Amino acid sequence: MKLRARLALTAVATLCPVVVALLYYDALVQHGVAHERLVGFTKAHFENAQAECEADPGHWGDRHDPPPPRDHRFPPQHGPHPPPPGVFSSNAGPPRPPFNGPPPRAEPARLFVYDESFHSSNPNAPALSPALVEAIAGNPEAQPSFVWPSSRVETLLRMPWVSRSCAYVLARGTTDPSWGSVLPENPMWLAPVFAVLVAVLAAVGPVVERIRRLTEAVARSAAHGYRTDVAEKLHESTDEIGALANAFDAASRQVREALAEKEAREKSLRDFVSNTTHDVMVPLSVLQGHLMTLREQTVGDASVVISAMTEAHYLGSLIHNLAVAARIESTHVTLHRTAVNLEELIRRVVARHRPVAKQLEVSLDYAVPDEPVEISADVTLIEQAISNVTHNAVRYNHPGGHVVLLLECRGEDGFLLRIADDGPGIEPVQLTRLVERGYRGDQARTRAPDGQGLGLHIAFRAAELHGYDMKLGPSEFGGLEVSFEGLKR
Amino acid sequence: MRKCILLVEDDQALGAQVVERLRNAGYDSIWWKEGRRMAPGQWPNVDLVVLDLMLPGAYGLDMLKDLRTESDVPVLVLSARLDTADKVRALKLGADDYMTKPFWPEELLERVAARLRRPIMSRTDCMELGVLRVDRSRREVTVQGQLITLSKLEFDVLLVLAERPGMAVTRKIITDRALDAENEASERHLDVYISRLRKKLGADVVIETVWGIGYRLQLDKTQ
Repeated sequence: MKLRARLALTAVATLCPVVVALLYYDALVQHGVAHERLVGFTKAHFENAQAECEADPGHWGDRHDPPPPRDHRFPPQHGPHPPPPGVFSSNAGPPRPPFNGPPPRAEPARLFVYDESFHSSNPNAPALSPALVEAIAGNPEAQPSFVWPSSRVETLLRMPWVSRSCAYVLARGTTDPSWGSVLPENPMWLAPVFAVLVAVLAAVGPVVERIRRLTEAVARSAAHGYRTDVAEKLHESTDEIGALANAFDAASRQVREALAEKEAREKSLRDFVSNTTHDVMVPLSVLQGHLMTLREQTVGDASVVISAMTEAHYLGSLIHNLAVAARIESTHVTLHRTAVNLEELIRRVVARHRPVAKQLEVSLDYAVPDEPVEISADVTLIEQAISNVTHNAVRYNHPGGHVVLLLECRGEDGFLLRIADDGPGIEPVQLTRLVERGYRGDQARTRAPDGQGLGLHIAFRAAELHGYDMKLGPSEFGGLEVSFEGLKR
Repeated sequence: MRKCILLVEDDQALGAQVVERLRNAGYDSIWWKEGRRMAPGQWPNVDLVVLDLMLPGAYGLDMLKDLRTESDVPVLVLSARLDTADKVRALKLGADDYMTKPFWPEELLERVAARLRRPIMSRTDCMELGVLRVDRSRREVTVQGQLITLSKLEFDVLLVLAERPGMAVTRKIITDRALDAENEASERHLDVYISRLRKKLGADVVIETVWGIGYRLQLDKTQ
């Protein structure tokens, strides 16, 4: 729910019960005051009235009613005349000048006499409710429970004498807004209450607007990796929203610092990996040199030396792959795209694997089209991808086997590179599994049993990052064919 | 005349190995064990430079920058780092090629040889490939000075191979360029032309069958 709607709903939900409670309390107080007056009025009639009452219980107290209907709504004015009997009027409170202000609304009080068995000879007398009869037992007076918003006031009194026919009297009157009211009679008092409500909703408008602006500013700052501050305009105000903007700035500063720290840590890690790679690659080159010398000096069975050579070669690829894997596993990989001559790249890859292929008696060749094929790519990633596939094709071949890299142009701006061999190939079921693992990469780090592992995963990932289509399938020569197809630009 | 190669490599063992391999392959070499910033005119007169990048003394790329102000000598960069930025910068500064460690001695020698090889003027009308000489404008072929009579299609097939000596050329390219690409039988007839060519050119000119690709005019024997 929006802030403004919620505020309006809350205000209404709070105001309504308060207004109702106020009105109820006002009615209750009016009722109480009216009741006191009614009792006082009734008791004033008791003096030396027993005989009078017993003489005619049907009309006692009721007989002085003013003639209805016009006058009965007007209680008599205070003045030098005593109030007419039977008319309920106030002795307290200031006298009300005639026709000044709204006319009082109290009805004249009426008294009804009941005998011991709560029957009245007055035909106008109402029947007494059982609850009221029960309440008067042992009490000098009883009154029915307050019913809101009725203005009727009733009280049942026990006569101060003992008499069969005049045992109880029911006094009946009404409240009057001028008696004991706590609220102004005119409902205009509600106007300021609702005016405040409207004012609050109007005042919340700019607040909501500023919160919205702050939200936008924070979102903008977040979109830039919290590198920019939250909107400066919001800082100038000293209220809570300004404080909130400052708090956001403080938070974004911390985020920036944390990011900078993380970047620095990552950089030092990258440098470490890079330096370590360097430190490993130099002795590995020396080792390969020695292995080659050893191979040249071996007469007869050279299988052990050749095996050592392939392992050294695998080790070099593995370290390259680990270095590349560290780069491409993050969610945000930045490709360092430059113009890459695919022919030269293929030549480098073939030159790298040919010495080992020669030892394994696997021929390794390549063919390129007449015109140079230049693609826009991250040379390290693509070279590593093609190198991995080539390495696998050589490694899992048999003596006398062949591996070829065939580059073709596809249309105006496409290329297709196929790496095909006549090795044992891969069963279709295993191929599917290999492709899945290659895509997933989580299990790709294991070397056996198909051993294509990490290298293939890197090839898949590199192709994916470049938007190339990498496919594995049976080659026309009976082995495996891996193809990369994509656009040059 | 023996070619001279300048090797800049700080690792003692690797440097010694490379120098040894170069000598065995018939090259003279100068070995610098640290990076040096050289003023113009101070560079030794060599045919090729093998340059490591991470060096004590001076960074390899700075040396390359110095060198390129005065010389177009081929430079082969040796890098142990798989860093795209390094390679791109090296190529931009004028390196001809780069090689990533670890490498096999054979690989290094092949790359050195490739860079030192006399560029073949395939665009000129007359190509000399060892004993083989192909005159494009006159459509004449001689082996060791002896004129060989070839049919039109045989000459066209040889021309395609001779324009890319030492490189495997696919059957499709040869067919497209030399034979009637529209005719489906052409690709099958290619083998016939090749076999005739081999017979006519003799044992000194080797046209090698390359598995999975097509044919290659072998360079090493013809040169």
